[in-house]
Amino acid sequence: MQPLSLHDIHKTFGARRVLQGATLELNTGTCCLLTGANGAGKSTLLRICAGLEKPEAGYVDLGAGRIRWKRARRDLQRQSVYLHQQPYMFDSSVRQNLAYALHRHTDKATHQTRIDMALDWAGLTPIAHTWAKQLSGGERQRVALARAWLRSPNIMLLDEPTNNLDEEAKQRTLALLMSLKAQGIGLLIASHENNYFHRLADETLELANGQLTPRTATPHSIGNIVKLTSIRQATL
Amino acid sequence: MEHLFSATQTALGLLVSGNAELWAIIGISFRVSTTAILIAVLPAVLTAFVLSYARFTGRRLLISLFNTLLSIPAVVIGLSCYVLLSRQGPLGDLHLLFTQTAMVIGQVALCFPMLVAMGHSTFQAADKRAWETARTLGASPLYALLTVMHEVRFGLIAALLAGFGRIIAEVGASMMLGGNILHYTRNIPTAIALETSKGEFAQGIALGMVLLVMAFVLNSSLHYFQGKGQIVG
Ligand SMILES: Nc1ncnc2c1ncn2[C@@H]1O[C@H](COP(=O)(O)OP(=O)(O)OP(=O)(O)O)[C@@H](O)[C@H]1O
Ligand SMILES: [Mg+2]
Repeated sequence: MQPLSLHDIHKTFGARRVLQGATLELNTGTCCLLTGANGAGKSTLLRICAGLEKPEAGYVDLGAGRIRWKRARRDLQRQSVYLHQQPYMFDSSVRQNLAYALHRHTDKATHQTRIDMALDWAGLTPIAHTWAKQLSGGERQRVALARAWLRSPNIMLLDEPTNNLDEEAKQRTLALLMSLKAQGIGLLIASHENNYFHRLADETLELANGQLTPRTATPHSIGNIVKLTSIRQATL
Repeated sequence: MEHLFSATQTALGLLVSGNAELWAIIGISFRVSTTAILIAVLPAVLTAFVLSYARFTGRRLLISLFNTLLSIPAVVIGLSCYVLLSRQGPLGDLHLLFTQTAMVIGQVALCFPMLVAMGHSTFQAADKRAWETARTLGASPLYALLTVMHEVRFGLIAALLAGFGRIIAEVGASMMLGGNILHYTRNIPTAIALETSKGEFAQGIALGMVLLVMAFVLNSSLHYFQGKGQIVG
């Protein structure tokens, strides 16, 4: 099954052309890494996938062929969860933040156990009753992941999930993402830190000039070092 | 000076002894203003929300319209309502002039723009991620609206208090639309105006004290809630 495919997406903000014909496919249980410079449009692309932003042109296919944006948006919102670059915490406890993802579920009996499981999964049990707005960046990231997981999406759209995290938290997030992928969730990750995700990602796409191009298997780190040295030489 | 002192003493006596006429006036004030604010609050919050979250042509114009309405003096709003409700006016057949309903209408007109303007700036200042997070976690638009309202509840309560403060102490519109009829449309501000003009200070001072206490309570709660709203994260 192919849960998500975007074709020839265009998006402009005022005079700024952010996406100019981006095409993307994401299968369940796979991970696609999105790289690109600051302002390349990674967040914008993820937000379109989440149905939060409307493209000017292009179409979305969720397995049933080409559909209009209105329906696409509804389906995208139903299937996917978007995690902000800086996750938003509702003004309540960690536990209540997680419970929010279940507010549509009618089966109230299993709520508490599911929340307990999610807390445990993300290592949040000790801080379950902390006020979510008081958490550190890394803890927020974990709350956002657990909250998204409870929503049982087919697709997770993660915007810089390792942003501002220390080494330990990064490894922990990576492990959580691995387990999400193993559960069959399609992951689309926007990040600069491609070296962290090379074990996780099945495919790396580079967003530049509004278009996506597959990145070849050359080690990115070496590429970066080369770039760095050339910049250094240029400035010297 | 001595006169003022004895008048204040009488005023305290009136308040403490539970003078029926005095407390009836206070009751009318609260009933009318509470009704007005309750009528205005829901449409005002929805309007404020649409103005900050929806994108449509004329949005900016509407925002400045509400901000302008905010600075129109109460008497002018009273006058406009008077013209509408007077016998020759378009709503003259309803015979609403000099009733509590007319006062409520005037006060709704007074507090609505204030609620919209303050509500709008509250929603404007709210983190847009709150709405997006709610939506991406599967909330319907209505549930997401309630979520955002909960997130900015202190700002909304502050708007409510400010709106109430504007109408409870307002003389012009109440006088014109209510007519200052004892036991019916005489409220605190119109009673103060009347008693003072008659040279009877005691009742005026007593009612003034009530307004003062209320202004203090409203302002300190306003401060409290606005301070709470400052905590961001
Ligand atoms: N709501 C908006 N209104 C106007 N311009 C916007 C809006 N959102 C994004 N942009 C612009 O679109 C461009 C792409 O932004 P986007 O956030 O998608 O980049 P990004 O690749 O995620 O960057 P970063 O690596 O810094 O997160 C930027 O130039 C930004 O200024
Ligand atoms: Mg971004």
